[in-house]
Amino acid sequence: MNIKILTAIGALLLLITVAFYPLDGAKNYKSLSAQLATAQIMHNPDKPLSDFSLSDHNGHVFSNNNLKDNWTLLLFIYTHCPDICPTELANMSMLKAQLENTQAEVVPNVVAVTFDPLRDTPKVLKTYVTHFDKGFVGVSGDPQQIDQLVKDFGAYYERVIYDENGKQITLNKKESLPEDAIEKGYVINHTARIYLVSPDGEVLAGFPTSHNLSNMANDIEKLVKAFEE
Amino acid sequence: MLNNIKIALFTLTALASTTAAIAQNHVHQQNDDQHQITIIDPWIRSAPANAPALGLFLKISNNTNQEVRLVSVHTPGYKRIELHRTINNNGMMKMVKQDFMPIPAQGKLHLKPGSWHVMLIGPNRVPGKGEKIELSLEFNNGNTQTIQALVRKGKRMMKHHSAH
Repeated sequence: MNIKILTAIGALLLLITVAFYPLDGAKNYKSLSAQLATAQIMHNPDKPLSDFSLSDHNGHVFSNNNLKDNWTLLLFIYTHCPDICPTELANMSMLKAQLENTQAEVVPNVVAVTFDPLRDTPKVLKTYVTHFDKGFVGVSGDPQQIDQLVKDFGAYYERVIYDENGKQITLNKKESLPEDAIEKGYVINHTARIYLVSPDGEVLAGFPTSHNLSNMANDIEKLVKAFEE
Repeated sequence: MLNNIKIALFTLTALASTTAAIAQNHVHQQNDDQHQITIIDPWIRSAPANAPALGLFLKISNNTNQEVRLVSVHTPGYKRIELHRTINNNGMMKMVKQDFMPIPAQGKLHLKPGSWHVMLIGPNRVPGKGEKIELSLEFNNGNTQTIQALVRKGKRMMKHHSAH
């Protein structure tokens, strides 16, 4: 009888533990939110990143596996951007230097995925991205897979072309670029969030603009600690 | 004879005074033109060797009692030059082309990363860090300013916030 009761209690405890384990994990991040200066928790085990296979700036496959087993700061850019994208890449270079100088436990890899694979080939990205830091990785590839990745990360972009009078026209997502768009030029309106990807290859947090590097560095330390606990 | 000399001397003196006054007035006029609009710290962000577009940033001070508009920027070696403003619309960074940039009367306009900027598109050659590029700025009041913009690393996009 006692054995039966003990077994029942044991089974109940096991059930409670299993049932509440994921919630408990989520609660940890939730309680962490209040301590973060700038980062927003994006951790969502129910929505893992889609499988993707793109190309890094050396022409090697860049897939989900490249986001695993190390920390990554991922941002979306395009090289024809004269303002926000170079600012963000320069900021990431300074953040990396800051983390190295303060001997931070984790210095994430920086990966820049292009919004504009039509013009930003791996070769173009190599020259562009490594100007800011030799260790940065540029990623290009199949436009549909990039669009899926953009969606998975909760990012967004839209292309803006020019008419005969130089007036800007914003294309909707389904509209393709006109044939003369490369010659005439186009710009891209885009979100400018920077994402922290944890070693399980999933998005843990996002840093909305504007990017304060000291706050980012502090938040990364807290997020790493919470992930490892 | 003496009278003739006196007349000649008087004429010469009068002529010299008039010339000096005209010259002085001209100098004043030039100084006024230069002081109407002041350009502070013009710089171009150093960019990768294959950068398709560069950003030019500066501060413009309008010392007149009327709004002045920057209408165009010129320098050789670029496919085209446009005036732009980046607008943060709920996290969406929009690149909005501008016909002009307004500098309020007795006010300033700060062209800086993440805000107003001049877009130098399609450089024949991307200038290196430390180079100085000569550009001319045209304003709607007829004023043209020639500036030397230093190519340097960009500053941080936003100022420090205190940690909360």
